[in-house]
Amino acid sequence: MTQDEHKEGFKGMANPSRYGIERVAYWLMRLSGLGLLAYFIGHIYETSNILRGRVGWNEFLELTQTTEGHIVLAIVIAMCVFHTVNGIRVMLGHGGVGVGKPARPDYPYDPASQNYRHKIGIYSAIILAAIAMMYGLAVMFGE
Amino acid sequence: MRESTIMKIHYGTALAAVALVAVHILMRMTMNFADSLEYETVLANYKFIPYAIMLELILVLLSIHGFNGLRVILLELKQGRTYEKAVSYGCLAAMFALIAYGSRTIIMTNMGMV
Repeated sequence: MTQDEHKEGFKGMANPSRYGIERVAYWLMRLSGLGLLAYFIGHIYETSNILRGRVGWNEFLELTQTTEGHIVLAIVIAMCVFHTVNGIRVMLGHGGVGVGKPARPDYPYDPASQNYRHKIGIYSAIILAAIAMMYGLAVMFGE
Repeated sequence: MRESTIMKIHYGTALAAVALVAVHILMRMTMNFADSLEYETVLANYKFIPYAIMLELILVLLSIHGFNGLRVILLELKQGRTYEKAVSYGCLAAMFALIAYGSRTIIMTNMGMV
């Protein structure tokens, strides 16, 4: 990181276009994590409506089982699959799997850990998330 | 607790939750999606004790993983002794509150208090 990039502060660090697919994965991981936590809290509240009996349950289903509700659920499915697959990649990386062998740092100083194996992992996570989202939409709207 | 231990818990809860959430989703797919959300079906799910135990486990695992993830994100954004303590205890309190609220639903429905 150059001196000028330091001056940009948080924006410089957050820029997803500057540091390749790894930085995009970093942001998608955090955004999907926050999205899933928000959904999880909402889901706990949603299911607590069963305590209001049949009327309460059906009232709440009318709110969530709509076109908008199904689209939100499809996005949740995509976030869940991406977070899972990319999370497994991160865990393997932390365990030293697929990060390459230590070597003398030579110009242009490409980090050994940011290799094709992990790039394939990130692209696979994105593709699988898209497939799962399409499947979810087919199940929800195909009825 | 050491951060390395917390990360092991974070990864452990993630792997366990993936397996259990997969079972939870597959249960929705044993029948038509809309039918699986019918009042009687959901009530029957809660009253089936092994399934209720699995829901409780998912609740605990995802609460730990989710709020620890939130804590990690917040600690990345800003550091400082007071801030870090506030974030850690805040996330812990939110985690316990969510587990208590979710457990209330599972226990009351399982015991027929609906």
